[in-house]
Amino acid sequence: MSKYILISLVFLVAVFLSIIIGPAELTTDILQLRISRVILGVFAGGILAFCGGILQGLFGNPLVEPYTLGSASGAALGGSVGMLLFGTISPLFAFLGALGVGFFVFTIARIEGGLLRDRLILAGVVMSFLCSSLVMVIMVLGGRELYEILYLLMGYLGVVITSANRAMIIAMIVVSGILLIYLYRYYRELDIISQGMETAAGLGIDIQKLSVIIFLTTALLIGITVSIVGAIGFVGLIVPHISKLIFGPKHLKNLPGSFLLGATFLLLADTIARVITVYELPVGVVTSLVGVPFFIYLYRKK
Amino acid sequence: MIFGNTSRTVGIGCVILILITCIVHNRCERPVPHTGFKIVSLSPAMTENIFALGAAQDLVGVTTFCDYPEEAKKIYKIGDFSNPSLERIVGLKPDLVIVNLPEQTRIKKELEKLDINIFISSPQTLDDIYNEIIAIGRIVKKQQAADSLVNYMKMHISRVDKPVRPAVEGSSKKRVYIELSPRPLVTIGAPSFLNELLEMAGAENIFADLGKDYPVVPQEEVIKRNPDVIIVLHPEDIRDRLGWRTITAISNNEVYTTLNQDHLMRPGPRLIIGFEQLKRIMDE
Repeated sequence: MSKYILISLVFLVAVFLSIIIGPAELTTDILQLRISRVILGVFAGGILAFCGGILQGLFGNPLVEPYTLGSASGAALGGSVGMLLFGTISPLFAFLGALGVGFFVFTIARIEGGLLRDRLILAGVVMSFLCSSLVMVIMVLGGRELYEILYLLMGYLGVVITSANRAMIIAMIVVSGILLIYLYRYYRELDIISQGMETAAGLGIDIQKLSVIIFLTTALLIGITVSIVGAIGFVGLIVPHISKLIFGPKHLKNLPGSFLLGATFLLLADTIARVITVYELPVGVVTSLVGVPFFIYLYRKK
Repeated sequence: MIFGNTSRTVGIGCVILILITCIVHNRCERPVPHTGFKIVSLSPAMTENIFALGAAQDLVGVTTFCDYPEEAKKIYKIGDFSNPSLERIVGLKPDLVIVNLPEQTRIKKELEKLDINIFISSPQTLDDIYNEIIAIGRIVKKQQAADSLVNYMKMHISRVDKPVRPAVEGSSKKRVYIELSPRPLVTIGAPSFLNELLEMAGAENIFADLGKDYPVVPQEEVIKRNPDVIIVLHPEDIRDRLGWRTITAISNNEVYTTLNQDHLMRPGPRLIIGFEQLKRIMDE
């Protein structure tokens, strides 16, 4: 429990820092802007890390995450297609992209009565490559939207909020919250699956059904996240590992831990991105620049 | 059955692919035979300049972005601005290819390997633009037309000297933010002719201290620098953005959305129109 208090404190410090640190003086308007940015950061960082954690638990593979499963790339592709057709990144297209690619990956990896875990990653990586090529094609066809797609691929929290997209963003955050709680309810099943598929099947868990539920729900969550802040990499892969180091293998504890740590990590990365240059730097650049050395240090120490 | 199932599928696949290739090949537009000096322009602005000089007959290939004047659309297309097709360019056997730097560095290297003559267009200042017009004028043997075009442009794009008014904050120059794209926010920095154009119109670019031509900037910086005028060169509405309410330009309703991007971003004769519009905004 004391670990939770500590991590929550760290989280609050991160929130505080990202509100007070920035190039401009803190007026009411700037405060509004930074609070909205913090909300987006908590939302995106939390969801990415949570989804990473739950997918790693389900498939028992430390490399599984929204990126390696193809969902994030699929969402980016869907978003780009939407942009080419309608001029805006619609969550619907991003979701359809994430779902479509997820479906392909699932079909490739499925065998009679189960999933081939290794094939899942292979299929995910292959589909990611395909999505990247298709995004390139769209960049060539689109021309002027080049910057926009580039930032969609790296992810950034400096999204401009207007009356046109405010209601949509709030609705998306509420929906995501509900979906997270829905997924969290499966923590016991995930604990059992982590100990081995046979044990789980023996205890009467319908692994196939559970896989489909988790797969589709995370695809939806990733689609929503990418359509708002772009495909921020690294958080979904690394943060769940750190959470497991701190909170242990029980999903009851390490999933909320992933959410908090993911949010904290993204907020700090974004604060650095905002302060380090006068330009708007995609936060995805900072998450890998900061995260990789930290991760190496952590694992060497262990 | 002579063939197995798999090889039949593969065979049918190959036949379909070959058919598609043939159809695409037949639909492929072919250049009109041309004698005389042949130019391929990969720069929409230079295409406009060559038209303005009355040397359009030399143009044998342009990009899909070359959409002005109307006749430019009818010229053989060699690809778009960022992805011109080397094969199509070489197929035209041009005497000169106009490339835009830094965007077309890759194709420039390819053309150099093939010993094709290159004209580099990379204007960062108004003087660069004038020099390029004179240079291309010399190449297409329209020196006089080039001289008079440049003089005409210089006459219309001349520095506006603000009358010394009892200024409130020491300067009567309006501070301007130009937005090229909303996601992310892209604006103009110091090394761009649009920045120079703004200064000549008697305004000050709030991001004139940035050393990049088209920098991506955070919202906070825009709010902090608090522009008097905002010029929007994309179709999205910016007035009700969260946190932007107190920007002077927005509270004074000095947001301009009707300017044509091509009049301000293309280093050619139409800059005159863009400059007139900028002047009008600054005089209001």
